[in-house]
Amino acid sequence: MFLALREFKHAKLRYLLVALIMILIAWLVLFVSGLAKGLSSDNASSIQNMNTDYLVLQKQADNRLNRSVISNDTLKDVRTFVSDKKSTPLGVQMTTLTKDGSAKKVDVTFFAINTNGMLAPDVAEGKMINNTTTNEVVADSSLKDNGFHLGDIVKDQASGKIFKIIGFTKEQSFSHAPVIHMNFKEWDAIHKANARGGEFFNAVALKANQDKADQIDNSVSGVDVITKSDALKGIPGYKEEQGSLIMMIAFLFVIAAVVLAVFFYVITIQKMNQFGVLKAIGAKTGYLAKNIVSQVLLLTIASLIISIALTYGVAFILPSSMPFDLSPQLVLGCSGLFLVVSVIGSLLSLYRVAKIDAIEAIGRAV
Amino acid sequence: MSDKLVLDNISKVFGDGDTSVKVLDRVSLQVKAGEFVAVVGPSGSGKSTFLSIAGALLSPTSGRIFLDNKEINKIPEQKMNRIRLEKIGFVFQSANLIPYLTVQDQLLLIPKLAGKRNKNAEKRADDLLKRLGLDHRRSHYPESLSGGERQRVAIARAWMNDPEIILADEPTASLDSERGRAVVQMLADEVKLRDKAAIMVTHDKRMLDLCDRVVYIEDGQLSEQPVNETKTS
Ligand SMILES: Nc1ncnc2c1ncn2[C@@H]1O[C@H](COP(=O)(O)OP(=O)(O)OP(=O)(O)O)[C@@H](O)[C@H]1O
Ligand SMILES: [Mg+2]
Repeated sequence: MFLALREFKHAKLRYLLVALIMILIAWLVLFVSGLAKGLSSDNASSIQNMNTDYLVLQKQADNRLNRSVISNDTLKDVRTFVSDKKSTPLGVQMTTLTKDGSAKKVDVTFFAINTNGMLAPDVAEGKMINNTTTNEVVADSSLKDNGFHLGDIVKDQASGKIFKIIGFTKEQSFSHAPVIHMNFKEWDAIHKANARGGEFFNAVALKANQDKADQIDNSVSGVDVITKSDALKGIPGYKEEQGSLIMMIAFLFVIAAVVLAVFFYVITIQKMNQFGVLKAIGAKTGYLAKNIVSQVLLLTIASLIISIALTYGVAFILPSSMPFDLSPQLVLGCSGLFLVVSVIGSLLSLYRVAKIDAIEAIGRAV
Repeated sequence: MSDKLVLDNISKVFGDGDTSVKVLDRVSLQVKAGEFVAVVGPSGSGKSTFLSIAGALLSPTSGRIFLDNKEINKIPEQKMNRIRLEKIGFVFQSANLIPYLTVQDQLLLIPKLAGKRNKNAEKRADDLLKRLGLDHRRSHYPESLSGGERQRVAIARAWMNDPEIILADEPTASLDSERGRAVVQMLADEVKLRDKAAIMVTHDKRMLDLCDRVVYIEDGQLSEQPVNETKTS
């Protein structure tokens, strides 16, 4: 640290610029990751946050919730394997709403649930619905951005049924549309009006271990038991969107990693002469290594802290229509990767430092 | 008196095959405790090479080196650092200071490397800086020093670790003759006083009277001549 700190002090401008570049790169990576994550949860947060391990879908449904149709009989079959508490039906329907008294239309997804079951969402504002109401629903709070308020009356375009929003939930979206939770009474009413008739729903949510899930998959005819992540992939457009986003982030990471590693490599190589002198006067490679690594760590950590602050700062002033979701795990992972990559970059050059012949490095005066 | 440094049949060949150059051809030299040896010779004759080998910075193609009766050419590279740090003080042909350390820190780095920074070290650095007339420059960086000042810092640095032997490659090249002579005088005094040894490469014939012995390197050969003879030549 003796050398590391003194070098910082002497070459302030140089290291400020180095730090600036690192801050910008880390900022870019964190910010884009946050946006990508935001986009993905904007797409499917209702499934991501769903309190379930597996979903039972119709076999021909291709893992797509909205294509699957499950009957009451099938639910009964499933429930011979798991308790009623650990399985609950789920209805999913994408539809269009209008607000009473206005012509504006919004796309939403209806989720029909047992309000006492495990799929009941947390209500952030207003009240939760129960299983007996016939015209009350809770909606995702993103609807507020579309001018909906507590107590508003909405009309389902397809069935013409009218509901009152009595509560708002958080982070409930499906295929980029806000989710509206209702009970099965209301769900059946919509579908009677729809003239489709008969009691049905789209899936059964399961809390079970892998063995149970496999057992149901094999024993109950006509169903597939899929995990949440399979269900996510079955959301219209989700897979394609995630593919692009992951590709984007992966590229960003790889490029940032290479840039950083090369950067520290070059910086260390430039100082080869000094390392030669230090070795000539008796410094051990280990001592030099410690200084190089502590320098890189100090720089990286300081830059990361600043860029994390910048990322959250900018996220804070971002409009809510631009979804941004940066979890501490992602930040930690990202930071960890940056640290590792920087240290690897400097260690690469350390190999050269270790091999350097003191006299060669000093350079002989001819 | 015991031999501080013994170089026994040292050869050094640079490169291999057709382009190989034999810079040193079986040269031998003994330096006793309390002895100050000057090495002179034309440019390119291998003086710096010789000194680097003596200072465990460069390994010879063949031959053996004893420092304080320990053979050091067989010691692995990692332990070589330790020997350079504890037993050898080096003054390079060009000062080779660390650009981001102040004059004082250049000196304090040495005990730091040896893992024994304390008040003693600071006092020693102070003394050395005073003796070399660098007191007022202690918190300057090398970039703001004159060539001579840099060289003096390098000399002070070489003395910092209280080495058994000092190897100096033209330490006075960038000093005025008065200051140069003072520096060489200081080297000589220190060697006598503390029973150390020193080898100095120099072009400056006026310094040779301060040395106990002068050796000539030419065509890869080393020949000894007494100080008096050199003076008259
Ligand atoms: N690494 C090397 N590879 C090839 N040849 C070298 C190498 N180092 C030195 N030489 C050659 O060895 C010879 C001696 O070099 P050296 O630096 O020891 O000379 P010198 O006596 O110190 O000269 P000067 O008085 O100019 O400093 C020179 O001819 C030089 O070209
Ligand atoms: Mg030379």
